Amino acid sequence: MSSHYDPTKAISSSAAYPEVVEHPHHEDDATFKKKVRKTTILLSVITVIELAIGLILYAMGHGANHLVVLMFKGAVCILTLAKAYYIVSIFMHLGDEIRNFIMTIIVPLLLFIWFIAAFLIDGNSYKNLRNDFDPYFKQTTTPVIHEVKKEPTTPEPGKQ
Amino acid sequence: MSHAAHIEHSAVGFDSHHDGDHGHHHKETFLTKYVFSQDHKMIAKQFLITGIIWAFIGGLFSVLFRLQLGFPDQSFPILETFFGQWAEGGKIKPDFYYALVTMHGTVLVFFVLTAGLSGTFANLLIPLQVGARDMASPLMNMLSYWFFFAASIVMLASLFIQTGPASGGWTAYPPLSALGQASIGSKAGMDMWIIGMALFIVSQLLAGLNYISTILNMRTKGMAMTRLPLTVWALFFTAVLGVLSFPVLLSGAVLLIFDRTLGTSFYLSDIFIAGEALPNEGGSAILYQHLFWFLGHPEVYIILLPAMGMVSEILSINSRKPIFGYMAMLGSMFAICILAFLVWAHHMFVTGLNPFLGSVFVLLTLLIAVPSAIKVFNWLTTLWRGSIRFTPAMLFAIGFVSLFISGGLTGIFLGNSTIDIHLHDTMFVVAHFHIVMGVASMFGMFAGIYHWFPKMYGRYMNNTLAYVHFWVTIVGAYLIFWPIHYQGLAGMPRRYLDKSQWVNFSQFHELDAMITIVTIIVFAVQLMFIFNFFYSIFKGRKVTTLNPWKATTLEWTTPINPGHGNWDGEIPEVHRWAYDYSKDGRDFIPQTEPVSENESTH
Amino acid sequence: MATTATTHKTKWWSGGKSPFNIEYGKVMMWYFLMSDAFTFGAFLISYGTIRFSQNFWPDPNHVFNAFPFAGHANLPLAFVSVMTFILIISSVTMVLAVHAGHKGDKAGVRKWLLWTILGGLMFLGCQAWEWWHMITAEHATLVDGQIQLLGQTTKVNPWGAAADPALIGDALKNTDADILAKLAYQVDHSVPVSQLVTQSKESLIATISQHDLKVGTPGPVAFGGFFYGITGFHGFHVFSGVIINIVMLIMTQKNVFERRGHYLMIEKAGLYWHFVDLVWVFVFLAFYLI
Repeated sequence: MSSHYDPTKAISSSAAYPEVVEHPHHEDDATFKKKVRKTTILLSVITVIELAIGLILYAMGHGANHLVVLMFKGAVCILTLAKAYYIVSIFMHLGDEIRNFIMTIIVPLLLFIWFIAAFLIDGNSYKNLRNDFDPYFKQTTTPVIHEVKKEPTTPEPGKQ
Repeated sequence: MSHAAHIEHSAVGFDSHHDGDHGHHHKETFLTKYVFSQDHKMIAKQFLITGIIWAFIGGLFSVLFRLQLGFPDQSFPILETFFGQWAEGGKIKPDFYYALVTMHGTVLVFFVLTAGLSGTFANLLIPLQVGARDMASPLMNMLSYWFFFAASIVMLASLFIQTGPASGGWTAYPPLSALGQASIGSKAGMDMWIIGMALFIVSQLLAGLNYISTILNMRTKGMAMTRLPLTVWALFFTAVLGVLSFPVLLSGAVLLIFDRTLGTSFYLSDIFIAGEALPNEGGSAILYQHLFWFLGHPEVYIILLPAMGMVSEILSINSRKPIFGYMAMLGSMFAICILAFLVWAHHMFVTGLNPFLGSVFVLLTLLIAVPSAIKVFNWLTTLWRGSIRFTPAMLFAIGFVSLFISGGLTGIFLGNSTIDIHLHDTMFVVAHFHIVMGVASMFGMFAGIYHWFPKMYGRYMNNTLAYVHFWVTIVGAYLIFWPIHYQGLAGMPRRYLDKSQWVNFSQFHELDAMITIVTIIVFAVQLMFIFNFFYSIFKGRKVTTLNPWKATTLEWTTPINPGHGNWDGEIPEVHRWAYDYSKDGRDFIPQTEPVSENESTH
Repeated sequence: MATTATTHKTKWWSGGKSPFNIEYGKVMMWYFLMSDAFTFGAFLISYGTIRFSQNFWPDPNHVFNAFPFAGHANLPLAFVSVMTFILIISSVTMVLAVHAGHKGDKAGVRKWLLWTILGGLMFLGCQAWEWWHMITAEHATLVDGQIQLLGQTTKVNPWGAAADPALIGDALKNTDADILAKLAYQVDHSVPVSQLVTQSKESLIATISQHDLKVGTPGPVAFGGFFYGITGFHGFHVFSGVIINIVMLIMTQKNVFERRGHYLMIEKAGLYWHFVDLVWVFVFLAFYLI
């Protein structure tokens, strides 16, 4: 039997066999709706917490303890990752796929660890190098704290 | 009900369609068969021929700038005839020289050894060796070629504009690439370079996604991942590298475009041009280098891995021995693939990179030696006591191993940041990457072409010409690049137009002249290869057996000139790995043959 | 490597089927999104790199404190929270559209797609307003010994450190009358600009000095480039997502999926749309929160 190949066929026309062999069973309406509602509320709550932290940082102004600021910022980062987890796992249904597939998505993303670390460390090092060897750079870019402070709402430089 | 049921339904519909149309052929016009073809084999040929045209152009550039390097005092009036004001008085002008060097790098790295190499062989081999009728999405595959074609047109057009093509080096570092007033090649040529590269990246992404999903989803029954030929594995890792690293170059290029056109300061700070201070401040030129090399280093393996895969396959077939250490080969390719993403800053040791960070990059870089060495030893052990058939493809594959060893060893020098302070930006670097990445991958490509030409065109290439091609090329490659190491060790900088002002380099004048002469000879031999290629398409000796190399893999179970869909009838099932050579007293056992009861285990 | 991973006795990797039980289109979409994550990742990491290489970086609470129709009220992060919620809600409606697709419920798909498109358009509208506001706003900035009114563009940044109050008195004298008029209006809305311009420089300076005028210095130029570059690139994704969803809507309406027997295309469009939301979560983090 000669089987001629029709490239216009939409699904898996290139494969010798159907690609999807097991019927993924979708949960019933009620469970699904409940899951979506729960996730929506969760995402909203996390966002509100993030905003609250942002406003706390704002209220603390710029005299705040560096370590405390750093901790709050770290907390925001972790909350963001939690949000990302819920979006990917529930909304994008990655949690419902089989484990092999989840790993093919997660493992390459681990590259971001070194990607972020190396870039930021080198950015920071570039600043330190210039502060050490380029007095003009240090002088013109380091914010000077002026003594006269009229009101707490006066815009002040955020620390970073 | 569920979508799975629908898929099965449509697959069933597909089968019944075949029964109904028994013996029916699609009407194919010239346009759908040769131009806008969705057949992976035709797309492979399109990539290959476009790549050959680019290789000719890029190679010619190297001959031109070698003329300048070998004979800086002489003038060649013929250059003025062809290039007019760019070579006034028969001498290559500095702007022309930089344009030649830049475009030589761009063309060879991206258009020949990325698109021409993996574009050709991924398209040709993946569906044939995994047992699929075509790529997962033939349409996207076609689009991938046409995006590459568009990129080629833009890049080619940039050669002919008045201010010339990009000339800030193939890496396009800012500020030279970000400021139009910085040099003549930073004007429209640079814009076209970026546009061409953006199109190229789109093409690579379309292609890479297709390769990955084809290899994962379209394998025929029985073709477990560990039964795949190493070519397919290599092309798989290549595609993964491309899909994850090209987007980063795209980001870098987008920011570069903004710096060029919108006055942003991503890469620019504290710059004076012609005594005038520019308003840009706060950017970092090192940032571009980080972004570029985040692609740039994986790119090295995007170029090398397909060659490695094909060489593994060809060595095994022509030694009539199973590949030594199949799982070790896989493991080392996987390790290379991961390490490729972690080592980019070893290109940047002298940019002002944090020395502590640099030492981490040294460690990671030197780790690559481990999987590379494993691969080399496995190749050598595959050859060991084999019944070697010295076909042209086999010679080029052995040549690849030789070059990979020679070039790889110098990589250990350069990977050490302390030694790199001396060697950075010298001819040593040029020699290193030309041998290990450039010439070695070209050898892999030649091996692939000679080996799979019968599958592509149903004819053989001429053997005599092929042998001449091999011997002249390998001897030439070593004659050209071996001495360049010594120049680099002596401190001779790369990218310089004329080094005759330095007394300490005067000892190299005759050497440079020799290198140039050899370059011209090697280039001429490549022209002979191109002649052989096109002549054999039409007049080569016809292939008369299905399996001319007596190989085990699936592509040799297709008809001599397979149509779109590859196999007449059912796609064969696979029962064993791809390397059952000289087993149980048999020369080879095809993958399609079921394992018999009293067969020995490997 | 993973060769004999078995679940429910299925040999996923043995060939002849998808090892993930997913059709190739969805595999491709996922891996495309992963590569796109690297594009956005590279942008955001570049932003971080430049920020780490500076001694000073603007505080987002001061940069993003405006709200439409709220005049000069100081409402840090308020507007961007609205944008974030719009995007989250549109993601939820997309989930519902995909779910309706699984059930083959054409009316449901249509309804939820429409809501999603609406959410996308609202987000784009918000972004347009924010850009417009940031570009056209007039912030008093001390440049070269005089006060200038600057918006945030790709070339200038008004969000530098607060200017030395000792310098402002002289700077006001060097400043043109029409700028002084606008400054006077900024600190005291009781007199319209059209009347202020007729006043003398001295009286304008007197008005300004009575109040608390916020004067900044030029900040890092790269801030604007990154902000417009990255939010613009994200906005472009939202825009293309809206276009994709409109195409899906038309195809649903024309019964294309009905005839095909499945709504898998909606699922892929949904993945793209959630990805846009996902990216926004990180853009929100990088620009507005830390």
